[in-house]
Parts: sequence; C-alpha cells; structure tokens
Amino acid sequence: MTLVHAQARLRDAATGELLGGAELASRVSEVAKTFADLPPGVLFLRVGLDLPSVLRYLGAFEAGRAVALLDPAQDREVLDGLVEKFRPAAVIGIDEEPTAGYTAESNSFGWVREDAEGVTPHPDLAVLLPTSGSTGNPKFVRLSRSAVLANADQIAEVLGITADEVAPTSLPLHYSYGMSVMNSHMRVGATVLIEGSGVVARPFWDAVTTYGATSLAGVPYHYEMLRRLRFDPAKYPTLRTLTQAGGKLRTELVSEFNDKMRAAGGQMFVMYGQTEAAPRMATVPSDRLAEKIGSAGPALPGGKFTIRDEDGNEIAEPGVAGEVVYRGPNVMMGYAESESELALGDETGGVLVTGDLGYLDEDGFLYITGRLKRIGKVFGNRVSLDDLEQIVKGFGAAAAVPAGDKVVVFLDRAGKETCKAAAKLLSETLHMHVTGFDVRTADGFPQLPSGKIDYRSLEAQV
Amino acid sequence: MSLNDRLRGVFVDALQLDDDVDVENLKYRDIEAWDSVGHMALVAAIEDEFDVQFETEQVIDMSSFKVAVDMLKGFGVSE
Repeated sequence: MTLVHAQARLRDAATGELLGGAELASRVSEVAKTFADLPPGVLFLRVGLDLPSVLRYLGAFEAGRAVALLDPAQDREVLDGLVEKFRPAAVIGIDEEPTAGYTAESNSFGWVREDAEGVTPHPDLAVLLPTSGSTGNPKFVRLSRSAVLANADQIAEVLGITADEVAPTSLPLHYSYGMSVMNSHMRVGATVLIEGSGVVARPFWDAVTTYGATSLAGVPYHYEMLRRLRFDPAKYPTLRTLTQAGGKLRTELVSEFNDKMRAAGGQMFVMYGQTEAAPRMATVPSDRLAEKIGSAGPALPGGKFTIRDEDGNEIAEPGVAGEVVYRGPNVMMGYAESESELALGDETGGVLVTGDLGYLDEDGFLYITGRLKRIGKVFGNRVSLDDLEQIVKGFGAAAAVPAGDKVVVFLDRAGKETCKAAAKLLSETLHMHVTGFDVRTADGFPQLPSGKIDYRSLEAQV
Repeated sequence: MSLNDRLRGVFVDALQLDDDVDVENLKYRDIEAWDSVGHMALVAAIEDEFDVQFETEQVIDMSSFKVAVDMLKGFGVSE
C-alpha cells in the first residue's frame, strides 16, 4: 500500500516540469534516503506550495517516517516551542539559525537534532497535523498510515477522481484539506498542479488554463472571493468540479455555485470533516446537492454517523439533534502533546466524538447545527473562543463569539485604537489574517442569571 | 491629497501595515498581511476610497502598489 500511484504526476507550475512514473518514484525515494540517517523521532516539515516541499512530504510518507506538516510562515517562537516539546529528529525546510540542540546542515536541508537518543514514534504513525486554535497548549493530531490512505480512497471514490484529473494546490499542504487533495489525487494516479499564489492572483489562473486543471478546492472564504471575482466556469473549459469544505458555506452561495457548475456541465461537492478524521467524514453527492442544500452529506463509504444525547445514548430518530459521533477507518489514533506521546498506539478505536451538534435526516444526510464547545472558525481554521479572550485580556474584559468565517471579539469599553491593536495581536499570535478578527467595543456584556456572559445574545448582535 | 498618498493610506489601513513598510514598492505576497484574504480586503477598500469598481481581470492583476496606481489612473483618478 503506497500513497503515490505508479501513474501519479506532479506538475510544477513555476517551471512547467512534469514529474511522473519512474522519475517521480525515484525523486521520492531519493528524498526518502536523505531521512534514513536521521536520529529517531518525528520529522518537522515546513511545507510551502513548491515542488521540494511536496517531494519531502511524499518521501517521508513513503519511507514510513512520521512527519509533522507545519506552516512555513509560522512564528519562530511557536516553532521553537514545538521543537522543545516534541524533540523532532529534524526540522526541514528552514534556513535560519537553529535552535539550541540542533545543527544546521550545510545544504539548506534544515536542522538536525544533535542528541542521537529520542523517542521512536509508533510504527503506524504517518502524519501529524497541528490542531488549529490551540494557542496555549499546542498539540498534534496523530494520523496513522492506514487512516490517511483510507481517507484518500474514500474521497477519491465519492468525488469520482480518476487518473485524468488535474488538481491545483489552492490550499496549503499543512492544512488538512490541502493535504487530502494531494493524497486523494496521488493515490489514484492523477495529477497535482503545484501553484502557490492563490485564487486571487493571475499566475494561479494562468496555470489553471495552461495545465488544464479539472477541479478547485476551497473553504468558505474562497467562495466569497470567487463570487467577488465573478467566477465563470465557461472561461475555464477543463475546470468542471468544485469542492467545498472547511466550514459551512452560506446556502445562497452553495446554490449559486452549484447552479453555475451545473449550467456549465460541471459539478459541485459540499463536504464535512475535521483534521481528526484525516480529514473527511461526509460528502454530498453532487447530483443531490440541490435538494439537500445545507447538509454536510452522508458518511463516506466505510464510515458511519450516530447522534447521541447529553447522556451519551444514541438518538435513533431522524431529525433530532445531538452530538455527532463518527466511526470509520480514517479516524485519528489520538492526540500528542509531548514527545513521549508520539510512541502511543491507537487510542480512539476508530470512534471520533466530533464536538459538533447536528442531526441526520431520513436519508442519513447529516446537518450540522452548532458546536458543543466554544469554537469559532477563522478562514476555515478552528479557534478556541476562550483562547481568544485570554490573548486579549491585557486590553480589558473580552467576549468572543463566532460569526461565519470570522470571529467577533467584544472588548469592554475599548477605544478604536485599542480594538485595532487587539485585532493585530490576535492576528499575530494565531497567524491568521487580521480581517478574520472583528474586534468591537461593548458597553458591558449581557449576563445570564448565573452571572456568566450570555454568549447567545451577543451572537445575536453580530 | 495626491493619488499616491491616498492609496498609501488605504494600503496601511486595509492591511494594517506598520510605519516602516515601504508601501510604494510593495508587491502581492511580499508580506504576510497581503495574502489572498488581505488582497480582497484591499480591493474592497480601494473601491470604497476611490469610488470605482474593478473588473475580475483587474482584481487578479493587481499585483503591486504600482499596478494599483496605474489602474486608478485608468479610471481617471487624478494624480
């Protein structure tokens, strides 16, 4: 079982180079060899949307070397914190002064740990992804090799991905959705078009046209952008599939893009997942999207949803909301908060308690209605609302509530400049664009009889 | 105020730039704040400030401060 199918191809839009077949296999194993002499431990891979980053990821996966995918723009401070906690064998794709205990390799490979002793990760462990929003206490989701491969197969099946597909990299590789686009295409022998400038830039659309991209993956804010750009599938005759995940897209936009794609002879898929499920759990079949607007879809093949009440009992009746539980071959092994936990085996037994609230309809289609925990989404990334309040507490009392693809943070009696400074601090701390944090002044917070902040009434204000 | 000064102000506000940023030589993705999300915020802010509406092609071609200046001149905004 390998991730990279014999027919899989990588197209580098920067150079036009096409790598496939034996050549791709040899490039991947070449990279894999460079990992063989490293001390025991996980590999920290700072992955950009470029050919060397992709080859390193594939090389690590095929070499059976556990790899953590990290944002190359991550703050040095955060990276150093992770390095200290997880003691990776190497930090790859970094060209800065190494942190204590690491030596920089001369060939700009990155840093290698000086201490030859370290915890050997569990043999099933393949990929580690940071859980978003974990500000105070960074941790990784542990994904096994079999879970990653199972999810790649599930996605390829429901989306009908064939070897003829060409998927551009519209999402970062360190983001679980971006990783899954890569995996599902490599797995069936399709092509991944590596282009890093994003859907608002000319080079991206030039690459879509030049190399005949067939699909486009986006989170809700991408669809807001595409609407603003008056995206017209007629202009891109090869591009016939849109996929959407990473949070709930406004139903008007689902309808609008679905209609557009249908009119052009194409299709749109709305999907639901979490990093903890490697990451996909559900997809609405494109031919049922119009009648199931607002749904996250039925569970992927081999997976199953159940809804449970507050006491943990299963709710069998359709239409009744409770906590969504997913079972499937793609569920994570568990979390890791320290180096020693990298050695742990499977702790979930294939069961994921999602923390999402929702219900199933008569056809088994899932509808998400909310979150059990105080969680918001910023451009598709999960953030803990309590953490946000902690981050800005230096500016005064704060109350954070979700607002679609952004969060609104109310600051008690704060001036305009203070609100601006708080938004900037959130942006810098969490490494997300400042426009994702709408910091507003408030004249005190509404309270519940218990004296706690009445978040529901605050939410109603946004 | 000149076109350059007004546009510089829009960039600083929309992307929340620090004082030391060389705004007039800025290009898309030179700095973290001008990513795809920042780009859309920036385009909207420029449209508001100058009361113009960019075409799709212009939005994706607006790859630098200088390009934005040229586009605004094209709209007849006086320097």
